[in-house]
Amino acid sequence: MQINRRFFLHKGALALAGTTAIPHFLVRTVMAQASAQPHRRLVVVFQRGAADGLNIVVPYREKNYYSMRPSIAIPQQKVIDLDGFFGLHPSLAAFKPLYDQGHLAVVHAAGSPDVTRSHFDAQDFMESGTPGVKGTDDGWLNRALQAEDLRHRQEHTAFRALALGADVPRTLAGAIPAIAISNVANFTVGGRGPVASPAASAFEAMYGSSGDRIFHATGEETFDAVKMLKAANPAQYKPAADYPNSEFGNSMKQIAQLLKANLGVEAAFTDVTGWDTHQNQGGVDGQLSNRLRDFSSTIAAFWQDMGDEAADITLVTMSEFGRTARENGTGGTDHGHANAMFVLGAGVKGGRVYGRWSGLEKEQLNEGRDLALTTDYRAVLGEVVSKTLGADNLERVFPGARLRADGFLRLMPGAAAPI
Amino acid sequence: MKHLQGLWAASLCASLVVSSTPGMAAPSAAPPAKTANRSAYPAQIEGDERILHALNRFTFGPRPGDLEAVRRMSLDTWFEEQLHPANINDTALQVRLAEYPAMTWSPEDLLYRLPSKAVIRQVIDGKAPMPQQGALYAVYENEVTRLSAKRQEKEQKAAVATVVKTAGDSKIADGQQISASGTQMESPAEVKAPETDPNLVSALLALPPRDRVLRMTRMPQPQYDSLIKSIKGPQRQLLMSDLSPDLRETLGALENPERVVVEELMAQRLIRDVYSNAQLQEVMTDFWMNHFNVFLRKNEATPYYLVSYERDVIRPHALGKFEDLLQATAHSPAMLIYLDNMQSIGPDSMAAERAKIAAARDPDTKKKAPEGLNENYARELMELHTLGVNGGYSQQDVIQAARILTGWTVERPQRGGGFQFDPRRHEPGTKKVLGKKFKEQGEREGRELLHMLATHPSTARFISRKLAVRFVSDDPPQELVDRMAKTFLSSNGDIAAVLKTMFRSPEFWSTETYRAKVKTPLESVVSATRATNSNLTNVQPLVAALREMGMPLYGCIPPTGYKWDAADWVSTGALVNRMNFALSLAANRFNGVTTTWTSQETPTLTAKQPALNLLANLDSDAAPPPVQATTPASLQPTPQSEETRLESLLIGGSVSDSTRIAVLEQFAQQSQGMPATAPAMLNQKQTRPAPLPIEKQDQLLAGLLLGSPEFQRR
Repeated sequence: MQINRRFFLHKGALALAGTTAIPHFLVRTVMAQASAQPHRRLVVVFQRGAADGLNIVVPYREKNYYSMRPSIAIPQQKVIDLDGFFGLHPSLAAFKPLYDQGHLAVVHAAGSPDVTRSHFDAQDFMESGTPGVKGTDDGWLNRALQAEDLRHRQEHTAFRALALGADVPRTLAGAIPAIAISNVANFTVGGRGPVASPAASAFEAMYGSSGDRIFHATGEETFDAVKMLKAANPAQYKPAADYPNSEFGNSMKQIAQLLKANLGVEAAFTDVTGWDTHQNQGGVDGQLSNRLRDFSSTIAAFWQDMGDEAADITLVTMSEFGRTARENGTGGTDHGHANAMFVLGAGVKGGRVYGRWSGLEKEQLNEGRDLALTTDYRAVLGEVVSKTLGADNLERVFPGARLRADGFLRLMPGAAAPI
Repeated sequence: MKHLQGLWAASLCASLVVSSTPGMAAPSAAPPAKTANRSAYPAQIEGDERILHALNRFTFGPRPGDLEAVRRMSLDTWFEEQLHPANINDTALQVRLAEYPAMTWSPEDLLYRLPSKAVIRQVIDGKAPMPQQGALYAVYENEVTRLSAKRQEKEQKAAVATVVKTAGDSKIADGQQISASGTQMESPAEVKAPETDPNLVSALLALPPRDRVLRMTRMPQPQYDSLIKSIKGPQRQLLMSDLSPDLRETLGALENPERVVVEELMAQRLIRDVYSNAQLQEVMTDFWMNHFNVFLRKNEATPYYLVSYERDVIRPHALGKFEDLLQATAHSPAMLIYLDNMQSIGPDSMAAERAKIAAARDPDTKKKAPEGLNENYARELMELHTLGVNGGYSQQDVIQAARILTGWTVERPQRGGGFQFDPRRHEPGTKKVLGKKFKEQGEREGRELLHMLATHPSTARFISRKLAVRFVSDDPPQELVDRMAKTFLSSNGDIAAVLKTMFRSPEFWSTETYRAKVKTPLESVVSATRATNSNLTNVQPLVAALREMGMPLYGCIPPTGYKWDAADWVSTGALVNRMNFALSLAANRFNGVTTTWTSQETPTLTAKQPALNLLANLDSDAAPPPVQATTPASLQPTPQSEETRLESLLIGGSVSDSTRIAVLEQFAQQSQGMPATAPAMLNQKQTRPAPLPIEKQDQLLAGLLLGSPEFQRR
């Protein structure tokens, strides 16, 4: 049974009136915990800049892979074999145990069907979830939460949709309020510290007694959120894993912190940059290798950090498009098409590479130059959001994509949607 | 509880005093639409609230003194004046804008004098000339050195990687888990810059401005960059403080020329929003910049084109004819780049034919083939700029319009060139949009298409409704929108006439619309700066606040622009940011945004005395007159009187009792040094709280008022 938090609080407060003086805040915290039955929680990682999927999940049995990438290909003896055909880049070593445990799945030759090679447009399309349609003003993840509400309406905390970063990304933009936090320690009114600042108390009283319907409600939510976060005491947080000391490591560490603080986070988003490797991207070592080491050890640390709670987590990665199958004249790769996605979770049937491999023969390539697309990224995300958030109205999440459950890859066969 | 009631009583008294102040209650502007049957409409806003309502809707928020000024000249006269900005005296604004000389340059000049990375790459590749000598040569040289170093660093890293690979000594076994602690990121080998001699900084500071900049232009790039890195905030300000605007630009360009353009672009915008007397023109400029959105980071040239886009395309037409505005945006490089029309090529055009022949001759050509027809602009032109999404067009109309607009491109887009019609890219033949035939006649087809769209009834309705949502309410009455649309059609899309119709409509003055709109982050930040009459010499704190509130300037990625309704702007994170912004602004915690909190409300002063430092100007870092320590306690302004004064100054009109009580209670607790979380303790102390220093008191009260629910509305 799902307890309607807000409903209870308001009725509960009436019932309590005059009998005992349990602080409002305490009631809320207790209830927030009581209602926190296991949720499926979704973490989305966007690799901005177009990651080179062919050097990330390497088709090491493809002869053409080596002939088209003479200076940057990963030698067969260096790849971390996955299934006798694909292998991970050696810098993704941290992923191998997760793959072997059956938590990590790869979807290859996936991506957005739009043919644009513009980072700007492709990220925009991927985040809006409507490739080719520019006018969409909200993001797919926000619509997934809307679809969840269609299925079972319940109350949520202000942390439901969370972005680690300065602003709410396109992916999370829309009718469901999303919160962007670039630094957990700064999410406070009138100064840091374990107790509320005097100004915060004054604002709380002001908004709490305000007759302005919209600001009264949002004010209450805000101070709930600020206090919830203070109670979680972010300054004291000790992660249960070693994260790389990088921007991405920091973001994921804070996402873990907020997930573990039981604040009601359902969908979290962050991004990681540095994938636009036109020049000297390197092979086993070098530019891309460094990015991948940060990428994989951060995600592995996150998984370890979540401990038992990892059972509730599904993490999915994407990048706006892949890169050309051939290396270019400057030791790098140019803007391409299909790419590899990772899906990590306890409910994921991992240890497999999903998707139909489209091949690297000249006539198999998209426009004669890039890995052709066989899996629409929306099919992957559609399965993930329906299995995690229960967002099964897929026309709402990905309008026009005509997704059908029987067309899914069955990445998450056992996972049941929360009721 | 007693304490609270006392405060409440006092504040209610105070508000009574305010509303009975002579002159305040006198109704000014006559209600419009006198002849209309008033009883048919909801209750109308009366008295001074009419002026406040107009100021809140047609400006970026009232400044201290605005209410009185409009009352003196009458509301109707003021509105007429706002509709005709050419006649408005704005010399104070011009003085402030003179700080940003580059904002008057053409895109071509901007890209030459403050080169983008693309221009520097062209210089390195020998495709663009290096300036002969002087400061500009130094600017280019610095950028060339930086960019070359970056390229070189990448090449070195790749070379190292190759060596390691061929040596075959990297030991990563299959499946071996590398502990996270053992995988620290390799930081890129930093080019060690020469240490900066501490004497150099003092030597530079000792030089007169021009010589100082000259000296710095002669420093080689690594030395310059390490100097800039080594000097900290106050020292750096000292280095810049006495420079003339053009010397400051030069110094900025030596470090990062593109950033000078972006910073000045944002600065001039916020300076105008805060200080322009032609407020309606700025409000409408904001409206149209958002309607015809262009994203700052579409490509490297976009910031440069945006300067001219706002200055030459949007602002001059903001209160003019819609068709002129539409034609100007359609011809602007900024829009042609942003919505990709620049690359659109007719499938049967000469350019496409040639590309096909070339491709057939050399199938492995590395040259990027032209991409063909691009529908982006044509679609947004109809959906977002004119007809609206339900405006009655089909996908076929979009394709046909895109064909008409093929060839509308930009000449030398990396170097700041202008609009160009390229007949080789133009799709031949007759096109048909919305049932109308467009015979082949080159660029004129497009002009006729734009004329048809600009004067279409769907456009009249779409634009009128959007204006009503901006100015009236999130869900404006249909009768009002219809009336505005009728004016739009009968006046050939005269924007000022449409606004006038709105101004004269009873729906605009309905009490239901009073403070009904939630401020967007831009409106919130600018109105707070206006209400406090802050002196703005550095806009970066405001720019950062807008970014944190989710409304970065020129930063809206999709062509939809930002929304004008509340739902998008009222959220938990946003509210935290708004409250913190209010507290920081009032407490003068932003570098370069200062408010002088001089209280003049001592009994000896008349009410006519400006309450805040109204004359705060570029040179006003003068400290406020110190409060005399000997002033008898009875003559000091009380928290209540100060609150009342600030309330009417900052909010313009009163706040709710609940807000006032929260503010005053907070003040009482603060001055006793007691945590606000322990209200029970208040009853134990019966002594009157010792007053805070007046400036601190004002800052605190003002911060709370600016963060109040009332201030979030307009």
